[in-house]
Amino acid sequence: MSRLVLKFERSTLKEVPLGTRPVTIGRAPDNDIPIDNLAVSNYHARVYVEAGSLVVEDLNSLNGSFLNDIRVERAMLKDGDSILIGKHHIVVDQVNDAALPLDSWRKAPAPRVNETMVLDTEERRKLFEQAAAAGERSQVSPDRLRVPTLSVLRGSTDQKEYRVVGKLTVIGHSKMATVRLRRWFTPEVAAQINKHEDGYYLGRGDWLPKINGVAIDGLTRLNDGDVIEVGRVRLNFLFRE
Amino acid sequence: MRIQTGARTDLGRVRKNNEDSYQIEPSLELYVLSDGMGGEAHGEVASKMAVQTVITHCQQGENSRTTPIFGEPRSDVSDRTNRLTSAIHLANRKVFEAASANPDQHGMGATIVAAWMEGQKLSLAHVGDSRAYLLRAGSLNQLTADHSLVAEKVRIGILTPQEADASELQSVLTRAVGTNATVEVDADEQMLLVGDTVLLCSDGLTRMVTDPEIASTLLTSTSAQEAADRLVELANENGGVDNVSVIILRVFQKSESVLDRLKVWKRNSG
Repeated sequence: MSRLVLKFERSTLKEVPLGTRPVTIGRAPDNDIPIDNLAVSNYHARVYVEAGSLVVEDLNSLNGSFLNDIRVERAMLKDGDSILIGKHHIVVDQVNDAALPLDSWRKAPAPRVNETMVLDTEERRKLFEQAAAAGERSQVSPDRLRVPTLSVLRGSTDQKEYRVVGKLTVIGHSKMATVRLRRWFTPEVAAQINKHEDGYYLGRGDWLPKINGVAIDGLTRLNDGDVIEVGRVRLNFLFRE
Repeated sequence: MRIQTGARTDLGRVRKNNEDSYQIEPSLELYVLSDGMGGEAHGEVASKMAVQTVITHCQQGENSRTTPIFGEPRSDVSDRTNRLTSAIHLANRKVFEAASANPDQHGMGATIVAAWMEGQKLSLAHVGDSRAYLLRAGSLNQLTADHSLVAEKVRIGILTPQEADASELQSVLTRAVGTNATVEVDADEQMLLVGDTVLLCSDGLTRMVTDPEIASTLLTSTSAQEAADRLVELANENGGVDNVSVIILRVFQKSESVLDRLKVWKRNSG
């Protein structure tokens, strides 16, 4: 059976059998041969059978399709031909079997580049694998396994220590506050801590808090051991076992 | 605190129908915006259904404590926030069932971003690439993380933000309402302060207008509605390739005294 073989430098990345449907090549994940490279257009080219011959057609791509190093818009293919798209080669491997079907070619639906689409399960799985690989490289932070706490060093609060467990931790006079400041004239929300994917961030309330003596400039990531000052209250941000 | 709202949706300059929907429910202080997809008129069906379901479910949750919760409630957010994510789980189910039942509507779906006030606290939930921003003390911060292929690649460090902006894959979402039987919903909370501005918007705005342009428009508008109008006009002037929708909340003191105004002025001027 005939097939197209996607190659990058010396390695074979993918093999796609040639059937009755056109084979599409491009950067969009719904192509039959997706190539994730900035030089490749969303829907770059396609290969199909027309009147018994194998044909490559460039879909008006930005950087072109090259057949044996010559830029082509549409060309017949034979066994062993190599189509260059971006930095990837697609090699035609025509094993001589039955003649290619004559009437099989039909126009593929026009690509709708601007339409929003959702990744299918397979593509999502690949993305998560990439994420996992990237995670391994950057090492899992040990902080994640420990509980962030605010330990009161100075000032009038309702407890001596607080666990920072919610998405939002409020420091202030409000009943909604996790860390309740008891002094008069303290604002309802003096400061707030937001939990994000990658850590804990201190933001302002009606007061501008300080970290290690320096007033914050917008949301600021907290590190283990930081001393937070909100008015006259001092809190030590610590990851506890 | 008192909230002034403004909102607008527009076809843009290229599209033939508007698939965005939004609704403001003043009695609940609930704000919902959705960007539909699926060709023909189905994107519009999906976004309308999503918005309506969220409003109705939150209303029912307020009316009766026995209203069921959809999706797994989280332990690190408030009941209010869990109700909001529950509403999006239900919206997902409704759109998915409609799409499955009707072959014409197969594949329809929507993004959603919803904001709900509880006193001073803002509950936020979203799926897809519609965004929420907070303008505080002159600086603009995106509160939501896009569920798009390029944004997820940037977050795991295999694509730079510049490559993402230039990518042709910006329209590829990793999550949407109604395209799968279940969906993961992101939730967040913020305490709002007097002087804050919150912006909810579809990607028709953020693909056309840069963050600094958004910030300066919000800062120089005299009302929330003026800001909404100007942002939509800006998106259209810059090309208007997609439908564009915005909801804007501006936070004021309930009764503003001279002292309060002075405090806000002092905060905004650093």
